[in-house]
Amino acid sequence: MDHQSTLERVVRGVLIALVLLFFMFPIVWILMMSFQTNEQILRIPPSLAFEPTLENYQALITGRLETQAGTLDIRFMSNLWNSLVLSVCSVALALVLGVPAAYAFARFRFRLGEDIAFTLLSFRFAPPLLVLLPLTLYFQELGLADTYIGLIWVYQLICLPLILWIVRGYFEDVSPDIEHAYRTAGHGWLTTFRRISIPLTAPGIAAAGLLAFIFAWNNFIFALVLASADKQPVTVGALAFVTASGIQYGQIAAAIVLSITPTLALALYAQRYLVEGLSLGAVKG
Amino acid sequence: MYEKEQDRVQAYLDGKMSRRELLRSMSALGVSAAAASTLIGLGSTRAFAAGFDAMQHQGTALKLLLNKHPYTDALLANLEAFKAMSGMEVTYDIFPEDVYFDKVTAALSSRSSEYDVFMTGAYMTWTYGPAGWITDLNEWIQDGDKTNPNYNWADMLAGLRASTAWNGIPGGALGSADAKQWCIPWGYELNNLSYNRNMFDQAGVSAPTNMGELLEVCAKLSTDVEGVYPIGVRGSRSWATIHPGFLSGYSNFGERDLTVGDDGTLSAAMNTDGSKAFHRDWVKMIQEYGPKNWSTYTWYQVGTDLGAGASAMIFDADILGYFMNGGGNKETGNIAYAPFAANPAADAPTPNVWIWSLSMSNFSQKKDAAWHFMQWATGVEHGLFGAQQMDFVNPVRQAVWDDSTFRARIDETYPGYLHQHDVSAPGAQIYFTAQPLFFDLTTEWAATLQKMVANEVPVDEGLDMLAESVNNQLADAGLG
Repeated sequence: MDHQSTLERVVRGVLIALVLLFFMFPIVWILMMSFQTNEQILRIPPSLAFEPTLENYQALITGRLETQAGTLDIRFMSNLWNSLVLSVCSVALALVLGVPAAYAFARFRFRLGEDIAFTLLSFRFAPPLLVLLPLTLYFQELGLADTYIGLIWVYQLICLPLILWIVRGYFEDVSPDIEHAYRTAGHGWLTTFRRISIPLTAPGIAAAGLLAFIFAWNNFIFALVLASADKQPVTVGALAFVTASGIQYGQIAAAIVLSITPTLALALYAQRYLVEGLSLGAVKG
Repeated sequence: MYEKEQDRVQAYLDGKMSRRELLRSMSALGVSAAAASTLIGLGSTRAFAAGFDAMQHQGTALKLLLNKHPYTDALLANLEAFKAMSGMEVTYDIFPEDVYFDKVTAALSSRSSEYDVFMTGAYMTWTYGPAGWITDLNEWIQDGDKTNPNYNWADMLAGLRASTAWNGIPGGALGSADAKQWCIPWGYELNNLSYNRNMFDQAGVSAPTNMGELLEVCAKLSTDVEGVYPIGVRGSRSWATIHPGFLSGYSNFGERDLTVGDDGTLSAAMNTDGSKAFHRDWVKMIQEYGPKNWSTYTWYQVGTDLGAGASAMIFDADILGYFMNGGGNKETGNIAYAPFAANPAADAPTPNVWIWSLSMSNFSQKKDAAWHFMQWATGVEHGLFGAQQMDFVNPVRQAVWDDSTFRARIDETYPGYLHQHDVSAPGAQIYFTAQPLFFDLTTEWAATLQKMVANEVPVDEGLDMLAESVNNQLADAGLG
């Protein structure tokens, strides 16, 4: 039953519209910029009316931008692919390693357990450059410099602590009695973990995985220091449109749209799990 | 190469044929414009190889670290010619300028041997050189066996040769007899006025020649040209705010950043009477005629505003004005250039310079081969190719500036550009004192300027405070 008066509904609607406008405006503006030429974007005063062009997207996808100043080679799609490979593989590896570890930290008490958990967490707090410069030397010795495997390994500094600490909390929220009951029925530890613990904490694992993916996707410095230009992610690639001879605003906007699309699609797809996962255990019975 | 095409390229290189005529005749022979550029590159590179064993490093592979820049584009467009001439393999990594120096610092500080040659600015070598990360190139320049007799080091503009050589002693004069050549100039920019001709015509003014005239012209522009601000200069809290127009004007009054005592100690020189007078004019210029968000202005904002018609002129790098006259900007074709000596009593401008240079990594395992490449990349032939065919400006060699094809191309499209350069080049050099706290002190200088423009501190008081702080920092570092 609706107890709101018309005035309240109108005020609420206006306020929601204002909040939406505030948060959505930059994204909508960038979307519009991505369909404009540099000259249209830099008009004084700016205008909402323009003839849309696909040349920015065309340039990014084909890898060539024709300007009056000449032809620019663009490696953006390769940057996008690198981001995808690095983020997906890093999160997958972190899930394989982090979920069992989180379960162990949640369920068992063992010597130095908390120390190890905090050490892993401390990776999140270390200034990246402090770690990266010495790591460069080791990577060169080990032949891992400028390799995807080396980068995915280093990306564990981002993903593993996140997954471990978030998922640990979800495992702690699941009553051990359920697992005990399943094991009493004659099932082994591993089966219990696979059939009971993981399904019960799946929304939490999905939420942690998604967060780790976003953090990995947004990372900038690891690949910059440890890899060549051909393995750089979008975060570095997007800067290529800022050159001494001018800023290609249209391509930057198109690059932003393309680079947020995977994370946005993933977040929208996993929205239900995300909300469920993040609110799991928020209210204790 | 077929004989006919070869003859035409040679005629073009000898100045007997214009670029337009060459392209037309090549087209008649079924050769595309891109292929013609490659042939020109090969033709000019042959001149470099004459009388020198160009294949002495055949089979050696080099790796370059480059910044995304028109100079890099010119290099890549001509790289096949070098590979064909030398039999060497050259690979490269290109990074955007925003992160480029982070990549260089990471590679050098980790003593990586991955890169043999990299792009750098002369200021950066004041850190890299004393740290032992880069090689003193005098050893190669002076070695008759390793350096092409046609390299003609003396042809490099004298101010640039000196500006890229330092003895490593804080306060040591650039280009002194005991200086180490930390890098080779590749392309450079000096600071003068670039202005919008239409706006100047509308206001009925001509390019100002000194600081007093500049303020008068700004006043006229602000009243007569609606919707634009008169002058763009950089203002972010960075060393990059100090080095272009600001230091060029400041040096023209004979003012210095630091003074070097007889005992070699350094002390601040920003609070002299002359310095205070210049700062007052500069601050007034920004407050009354500069952009509203001046304190956020970097190279990009200053240039974009000129290209988009938001500002009437800039006092910044000449090549920034050059780039804004092309590349699909709204004001393409409307930009003109003028020399600017801030001091009415000065004979000529004294622009501070930024020099994109090539350095050799001290950790390279192939230094001789790296020098072989650097000679070609900084040689007259590649300079001519880049200046005639691409946007490889400003050239660092007198031979390129004297080239009639290059001059004709620039004169046709960039009115006043050659004049502003020719008048300013003799006085163009680095006017900072070379010392390891360069970036810290200039950043603080920019922060002080911001406070003055925001009226948070009066000019005289602000400069006294800056000088005191600079002296303390120099003393703490054992330099003062």
